[in-house]
Amino acid sequence: MQDLISSYKKNLLLSILLTFFVLLFLYGIFATNNYFTWFNFKTIIRDAALYGIMAIGLTFVTLSGNFFLLSIKETAAICCVSFAMGMSTGYGVESWVGSFPISLLVTLLIGCLAGAAQGLFIGLGGNPIVVTLGGAGILYGIATWWTDNLVISFRRPNDAEWLGTGSFLGLPTITWSFILIAILAEFVLRYTNFGRKVYLVGSNRAAGKATGHENLSMAIIVCTICSALCAFVAVAFAAQMSSAQANYFSAEFGSSGDMTILVIATVMVGGNSIMGGYGNTIRTSIGAIFIAMIDNMMVLNGLNSGPRIVGVGLMIVFSILVFALYAKGSRAQE
Amino acid sequence: MQNSFISKIKQKFISNPDLTFAFFLAITVYSYFGFSVEVFASHNLTFAILERFAVLGLIGLALTICIIAGEIDLSIGSNAALCAVIVVKLTDPIGAPLAIVIGLFISTGIGFIQGFFIAYLRVRAIVLTVGTLMLLRGISLVVAEEKTVMLTDFRVPDFITTKFFMYFSPASIMVIFVFILVGIFMRFTKYGREIYAIGGARKESLAAGVPIKRPMIIAFALSGFCAGFAGTVIGLKSGTAQGLGLQYLLLAGTVAAFVGGVSILGGKGGIIGAAVGALTVNFLNTGLLFYALQVHFVQLFTSVLLVVVIVFQTMSRIFDQYQSRKAFLESVDHRRENLLAKRDKFNLTNK
Amino acid sequence: MQSPVLKISNISRSFGAIHALKKVDFEINKGEIMGLVGENGAGKSTLVKIISGFDNGYEGEYKLNGQVVRFETPVKAELSGIAIAQQELSLIPNMSVAENIFLAGAKVKKFATLKKLSEEAKPYLDAVGLSDIDPSIRTNLLSVGEQHLVEVARLLSHDAQILILDEPTAALGEQESRRILDMVQKIADSGKSIIYISHRLDEIFKITNRIAILRDGESQGIINTKDLNVDSLVEIMLGRELKNMFPVKPTKIKEDTILEVKNLWPDGLIEPVNFKVQKGEILGLAGQLGSGAGEVLAAIAGALQIRSGSLVLNGKEFMPSSPQQAIKNKIAYCSSDRKKDGLFLGRPIMENLTSPALEVISKFGIRSASREQKYSKNLALEFLIDVKRLNDESGLLSGGNQQKVALGKWLSISPEILLVNEPTRGVDVGAKSEIYQRMRELADNGTTIIFASTDIQEVTYLPERVLSFYQGLLIRQFGLNDIKTTSILKQITDPFNETNL
Repeated sequence: MQDLISSYKKNLLLSILLTFFVLLFLYGIFATNNYFTWFNFKTIIRDAALYGIMAIGLTFVTLSGNFFLLSIKETAAICCVSFAMGMSTGYGVESWVGSFPISLLVTLLIGCLAGAAQGLFIGLGGNPIVVTLGGAGILYGIATWWTDNLVISFRRPNDAEWLGTGSFLGLPTITWSFILIAILAEFVLRYTNFGRKVYLVGSNRAAGKATGHENLSMAIIVCTICSALCAFVAVAFAAQMSSAQANYFSAEFGSSGDMTILVIATVMVGGNSIMGGYGNTIRTSIGAIFIAMIDNMMVLNGLNSGPRIVGVGLMIVFSILVFALYAKGSRAQE
Repeated sequence: MQNSFISKIKQKFISNPDLTFAFFLAITVYSYFGFSVEVFASHNLTFAILERFAVLGLIGLALTICIIAGEIDLSIGSNAALCAVIVVKLTDPIGAPLAIVIGLFISTGIGFIQGFFIAYLRVRAIVLTVGTLMLLRGISLVVAEEKTVMLTDFRVPDFITTKFFMYFSPASIMVIFVFILVGIFMRFTKYGREIYAIGGARKESLAAGVPIKRPMIIAFALSGFCAGFAGTVIGLKSGTAQGLGLQYLLLAGTVAAFVGGVSILGGKGGIIGAAVGALTVNFLNTGLLFYALQVHFVQLFTSVLLVVVIVFQTMSRIFDQYQSRKAFLESVDHRRENLLAKRDKFNLTNK
Repeated sequence: MQSPVLKISNISRSFGAIHALKKVDFEINKGEIMGLVGENGAGKSTLVKIISGFDNGYEGEYKLNGQVVRFETPVKAELSGIAIAQQELSLIPNMSVAENIFLAGAKVKKFATLKKLSEEAKPYLDAVGLSDIDPSIRTNLLSVGEQHLVEVARLLSHDAQILILDEPTAALGEQESRRILDMVQKIADSGKSIIYISHRLDEIFKITNRIAILRDGESQGIINTKDLNVDSLVEIMLGRELKNMFPVKPTKIKEDTILEVKNLWPDGLIEPVNFKVQKGEILGLAGQLGSGAGEVLAAIAGALQIRSGSLVLNGKEFMPSSPQQAIKNKIAYCSSDRKKDGLFLGRPIMENLTSPALEVISKFGIRSASREQKYSKNLALEFLIDVKRLNDESGLLSGGNQQKVALGKWLSISPEILLVNEPTRGVDVGAKSEIYQRMRELADNGTTIIFASTDIQEVTYLPERVLSFYQGLLIRQFGLNDIKTTSILKQITDPFNETNL
């Protein structure tokens, strides 16, 4: 607590700005109509779930010291259309048309493959930014080529409805998924050997190597986890819309128009260190909810996408600066 | 006299495999399209290529500088879009020249502020620019009032795209000018060298007494300037600007920078490489247009180009490691004769 | 009696729990060559970093020409006429020699072509004996020795009044070293002052006027060179009473061969080495940096490339090609740089201790928190680490405790062979003693320990057998009865008696 106070005093200008924004935020929450309703709360969590689940997957990548994947929205895009293709055309196999399990399986396979391939290159020493930038273009190209950039839709009713629009005990399926995945991910990180390895390799790659934990297998596994979760969200979204097009995750998504950046920002707003070795998925989940809260508040106040993006962007920049200044032992720094 | 010039060029290629590869790629891509597409080598097309180079070249240059400094600027597309919106919006009321000055001032300022935060708060650029990417995008949308901004008077775009000497326009000439200035700055001034130093070997440069704040701020301010200039060119050429536009510039610019020989580890690269890289990506994009492919295919092939370059750079690095191990072992063996002779002499005299 | 041109009084500097300098005094006169000597970790580099403006976090008084000064940046120190050639290389590998020489500093021109810089670099390169080098080539194409010479050339270009050289000849051969010494003498003759740090005591005796000695961060005095000889100097550097910090050596040597090193030829050695190691013994590899001692150790652990070689451990012949493989064969390796790869600084001590052997504390991949607690507590007790601090970040510990964690974690795999490079680098005296004690106990219980060290004391008083290395050659073996400080020192600095000291 003492360090916090002294840090606060040291960076007076930034602290003042920070306090101002916190107050603005609190004011906004209380001044907005309908904010503190159960319905609104459910909406917030549901909105947070979509990028929150992907962000949980990305957290594994970040914690292991492999920065992040710039190909998140493209992975989601290819999985989205792959699922829709399965549901509507059965990949050419008549008996597979409309089959949820088959479509899901193929989609997950594609997602995992995309992740593993990128993870392989990263583990062999490639820079994650460059590898995933290239991977993004390639995945998106394949997705659009496969579908001729058309909308693929499939009939309702179908087997996938429970995932997209179903609900259980008053909460939508996607929200339950978010909660369950968050709990499962945190369990893995905290109590399994694999989770420990993630932190060790992320904290000091050379020391990890010296104690027998290579980054090669680590990179492949965490990238696969992240892509698999992206696939899951993509499937849920396609199920919700009963259709898919390659650009679903590019333009239409939320207020930001760029899913990848939103997911990366979620991981960072939660306070996870970009250098790896510090943080957890609970933080990421809180980050997702926090972003959703701010976005929701702006929507309820009738703001257009422009100011909404500014709002979320400001919040991201501020959390980055705050964590850089206050976190002990330099988290975002070298 | 001629011989030494040629041998100097030869030497430069041998000592710089990445640049050589860049030229090789450029020539290959150009030749491929030159042979398969009839009009590719025509005057008009060359002019079009140079026009696009004006934009892509600037972004490639901006990213090259940031990567040389050991960082990266992910917000470059958003910065360019913001400047485009500002310039297009202000041209009608206050005239193009003043609008351009204001736009450039703002983008350079944005770059300066980012560099400031990175240098003084020691935040990594990759982290900060994720946030600013979104922030600037939002600001562009707000300034554009959520719609596409348009010029009503099309004299300015007409002027910008007038042909000079068959291939050039005011835009491309100015860009070439910027390239030359920045190139001289990076290679021949103390401040440019500092940028190379903090990128390629940050610990060593600190140990050598190189300040880290100044080169960082300069690098990002330059990057902001180039982004703004690119946005200005695009905006004024087409007469329109959108808040969410120009996002493709990040991928295209990064590929251009890497094709040009920059290394993710920092400290390597130059403006010649940046120019060659941008031209190569341009050749590719322009050539693919003739295949009537949709935009996403262009992205696909650009990414493939990136993969090719990365594979090459990785192999080049492995080769480098192999070479330096060889050199090290040679120097060890070199000492052997001497040392063993001393030992024998000593053993003899002490028997 | 001229007054000193630089005078340091009562300087103290701490880094967290580590006290690098404790009330140190230092001074130098105009035109004087002052030797600065001390063991690794004595504080020499810390002191000169403060003098040259690289470190501003000290307490105490720093006077230059009678005026009190405090330099926030090295550039400010340079403006006052102080320049340093540091021990760690500070050259930019991909940059040309000329650009490296004129990289930073007050006098660097704002605008200059490579050709011009090459011309201006020539005289400085000549002065250090690099006249054959083309100043426009990339620095990483030069040998390590040549690179160090470029550092000195850079130092000369600053035109300083007080020059500091930190181990300038550590990577140089005879001829090159002699050239540096001549150059230093000439500079001093022209009225400049030079602070000369070196482990090579023969050099110190050859050119210095006075010698300043540091030990464990404290000044041991500044003495006229002609009033000292090697033995008396070493005595002051090491301190006689510290012999008690070492555990008693066994009286009988071990005879049970557990490891045979066959034709091992690590990169950096002149010829392959062959030797046997007995079970339960502590074998010391003595030699200066680059002599081959550390290289042999790393090669056995699979952490260094080799041209040939194999190990025979318990009858099985193999050669680990990575640390992972070595661990599988119960060979543990602790490198000389714990911050780089010996510790997970941001993680708690507990996680560090269990990092090499996660299977021990888990079942089916799921870890039991209580088992980990108990296990790491036992490990901590064994190595005398404060068990109350198990959940603290290891980065917050003192050097000694960090080293205990870095070493202790290997016990979790119950190694047959424990390899350690520089077992007590940056460790305070109290922790050193604890570590030595533990090493002897481990050996007595059957763990074979091989360590490499540049610390003369350590390599004399701890092991029962020593192999000495010099410039990439294995020179000789010392048995239990012929291990003596002076003879080992002689073997690792001048085995062929070239300097006739």
